Amino acid sequence: MTTARIRALFTVVKVLLGLLFLLPLVWIVLTSFKSEIQVLQAPNSVIFTPTLSTYREVIGSSLGAILTSVQIAVFVTAAVVLLAVPASFAISRRLSAGVTRYISVFLAVLLVLQMIPQPMTVIPLYSVLASWHILGSLGGLILADITLLLPFAIMLLRPFAMAIPPALYEAAQIDGANRWRSFRSITVPMMSNGIFTVISVIFISSWGEFVYAINFLPQGTVLPVSGLLASQNTTYAANWNSLMALAVLTSLPLLIVFIVSQKRLVNGLSLGAVK
Amino acid sequence: MTLTVTTRPAAGRVAPVGRRRRDRSARVLGYSVPASLVLLAMALYPMVVLFRMSVSDVGPTNIIGHWNFVGLANFAAAVGDPATWAAALRTLALSAVLLVSNLVLGFLAGAVLSEPGRLTNLVLGIMVFVWALPPLVSGSVWKFVLNDNGAVNAVLGVIGIPAVPWLSSPTAALWTVSAVTAWASLPFSTLILRGGMLAINRDVVEAAAIDGAGYWRTQVAIVLPLLRPTLWILAILTVIYSFKSFDFFYVLTQGGPGTATNTLPVLSYYAAFNQFEMSSGATVAVLSMVVVAVFAVPYVRSINREDQE
Repeated sequence: MTTARIRALFTVVKVLLGLLFLLPLVWIVLTSFKSEIQVLQAPNSVIFTPTLSTYREVIGSSLGAILTSVQIAVFVTAAVVLLAVPASFAISRRLSAGVTRYISVFLAVLLVLQMIPQPMTVIPLYSVLASWHILGSLGGLILADITLLLPFAIMLLRPFAMAIPPALYEAAQIDGANRWRSFRSITVPMMSNGIFTVISVIFISSWGEFVYAINFLPQGTVLPVSGLLASQNTTYAANWNSLMALAVLTSLPLLIVFIVSQKRLVNGLSLGAVK
Repeated sequence: MTLTVTTRPAAGRVAPVGRRRRDRSARVLGYSVPASLVLLAMALYPMVVLFRMSVSDVGPTNIIGHWNFVGLANFAAAVGDPATWAAALRTLALSAVLLVSNLVLGFLAGAVLSEPGRLTNLVLGIMVFVWALPPLVSGSVWKFVLNDNGAVNAVLGVIGIPAVPWLSSPTAALWTVSAVTAWASLPFSTLILRGGMLAINRDVVEAAAIDGAGYWRTQVAIVLPLLRPTLWILAILTVIYSFKSFDFFYVLTQGGPGTATNTLPVLSYYAAFNQFEMSSGATVAVLSMVVVAVFAVPYVRSINREDQE
């Protein structure tokens, strides 16, 4: 169908497209293996003796930050999964007209919540958290992150919940299984791909979140890695090598997930996003 | 666990079918209660607070405490302030860049990547990786390479083009940040449009080929019209995204140089957290949310309609 000339053109475009997205990533990794002197003398050199000194320095000084990030990401991911899986189960089946109406409203609210710009939710949340006396605590930040990511998680999980054939539930009901039982032994196992995607995505997002982190944690406390990267970015004399090493640390969860199961993540994300 | 106890007898007992169904079906919604409570308390209630802030006088001294009601004074001040209009104009400029990139480049990239193959999978994998990367990370590397003596200017120097002050000149900065934002959102639009193209019936495309239509002709006359609904949704999402986009502005310019890259979200954020003028920040936020809402209505409708089919 396509002629040879078009096919050749396609290959060129694909390569260019790939480079457009690959080169910045290569640049991050390259720079993170340079020493400070190397970056100062020749910031754009491609040939150099790689060194681990930057990583040694950055990991040494940001051990606390990594610990904070792990705490935040683990708590946020666990809570979001515990809240989102049952919620997506609840809104996956239109059992009656009343339920359908409820689902429509719920979905509309989720969509609208996803559209609200984060720099704008941070303003009222600041005062809400303050009035609840959890501003400046890890708990307050975790709660804010959960709320930020929950609508996305439910929307991502819903197609997986809807893909479960209703006949399975009916069969379970005939066998005498109550709803909790069929949720546990049908919904959860059959949604495992979706749950895997959500765990990955929420972990990656909460690890990389910084707008709440830099505002809701008190001055002078140990920021998460993302917060550290954000605050280093706003200082004028940036140490590019340590900045890039921090950037690698900030994308570490994503790297791991991609190495472990790239295909599952790409598929899961397209299913949720292309909706 | 209480659900377990209350529903078990119903399965064995002979109950009027209609009633039993309704009871059961309403009860399934109980599984959404915890998520709903969290969203009510932490997402919907703060929106009410945001609105209250916009009609009150909240400054650095009374974030916790009594808020004086000032009616529409904040809105009058915001509408009368040329900075608001400048920020709105910059947000529109960002929208324009993103629309061209997401729709035109996204269409081309989607078409090219609809052709199966190993190279396609590789490029798609890289693009999804970048899409999933925290904007903070991709923003940081762009800040580095677009620096006055960064890699981009070094490459330009090699081919004899003088260095461009990508981020440090007030005229270039907005376009530079817009371009970086467009780069970061291209994977998403490519995925969406590619999904739409793959869903097109192959027979239609092949029939066009048999009738003698070349590749480009088929794309313009067959694929483009069939993708119109997807393109509309993508356009709406893109405009909404330009009112959301903040991370790249924060990393690359913090609204500067001067106020050159203050779009509406950037303006409202820095009003609230640099000057602690919570009210003026909240007012700009409410104003831009009105714009977002206008675009959100057709989007939410179409998703709900699609969903019920």
